[in-house]
Amino acid sequence: MKKRPVKLSAPIIFGLVLCLVMTVFAQEDIVEVADSIFSGKKIRPPVPFHHEAHNEKAKIYECNVCHHVWEGGKKLEYETSEEMECSECHYDTTAAGYPFDVIKAYHDNCKGCHLQKKAGPILCSECHVKQ
Amino acid sequence: MHEIYKFVSGPLVWLAFIIFVGGSLYRLISMAILAKKKDGLVYEYFSLKYAFRSIYHWLIPFCSRNSQQHPWLTLVTFAFHVSLIFTPLFLLAHIILIKESWDISWWFLPEGMADFLTIVVIAGCVFLGIRRIVRPEVRYLTNTSDFIILALVGLPFITGFWSFHQWPGSTFMGILHIFSGEVLLVMIPFTRLSHMIFFPFTRGYIGSEFGAVRNVKDW
Repeated sequence: MKKRPVKLSAPIIFGLVLCLVMTVFAQEDIVEVADSIFSGKKIRPPVPFHHEAHNEKAKIYECNVCHHVWEGGKKLEYETSEEMECSECHYDTTAAGYPFDVIKAYHDNCKGCHLQKKAGPILCSECHVKQ
Repeated sequence: MHEIYKFVSGPLVWLAFIIFVGGSLYRLISMAILAKKKDGLVYEYFSLKYAFRSIYHWLIPFCSRNSQQHPWLTLVTFAFHVSLIFTPLFLLAHIILIKESWDISWWFLPEGMADFLTIVVIAGCVFLGIRRIVRPEVRYLTNTSDFIILALVGLPFITGFWSFHQWPGSTFMGILHIFSGEVLLVMIPFTRLSHMIFFPFTRGYIGSEFGAVRNVKDW
């Protein structure tokens, strides 16, 4: 029997391209809490954080729930800061040269909200999962 | 889960520290009053100089004759007590919780070092427990409460070690860690653990008597 050449029909090509695009974009989704201030200073494992999945589950639709901007002791209602690194504001390293300020910011944000909503991880080992 | 965490890491911490500090003050004051009533002379001959001389000699390993005679016990008790006090005060995870609550922080131990010191405390508890069983002169003075106290001292370290290494059940162990630390704090003023607050006075008392009255060394 004569072997039939694989025909690359339009739907197949479209499907392949779609897969490729999705893979690329999926990789761009944030999967870990990261900040350049920690480069070389990581003591605990970074926190796995699936940005999209988390916000969908937590029903967070406004960026500035987390990516906030504060001015004069007040959170600005419509300003967002997702293009900034957290440590651009929370940068103090005080004791032992370790960035405690940004750690506090993360913990206040994550753990604070989890405690308030009574959902999500709160203990050290629940977020900083050993790799 | 969230409610339990909130409770043990909030109101219970305050309660534990209030009982620890308040209980310690109560014990010290009531002991001072009792001493005045039963042995008022101690206030006459109590001498800071001889008190500190004695405390100093007993606080340095192998400085007292007793500690030279029992080198292993000296080694273990000093390592045990230093690790017991030092580790919780300079543990990264504890400092982060304090930073979260009060926005203050200080120097912390490298994690590997903290891990090692925790093992020292746990091993110290085991050593002291076995010593209470095998040494007849200690066994004579031992009752069940001594083993319970040793277990209570070891528990915050075992549970802390457990949850740090994220062994199975580490969430439960984390909660138990906080709770057992609070139980331990509350126990200090009211059990034999009160030697933590009384030792400068008992040592100073003996030091004063030996130094100022009998004119001999007490170490």
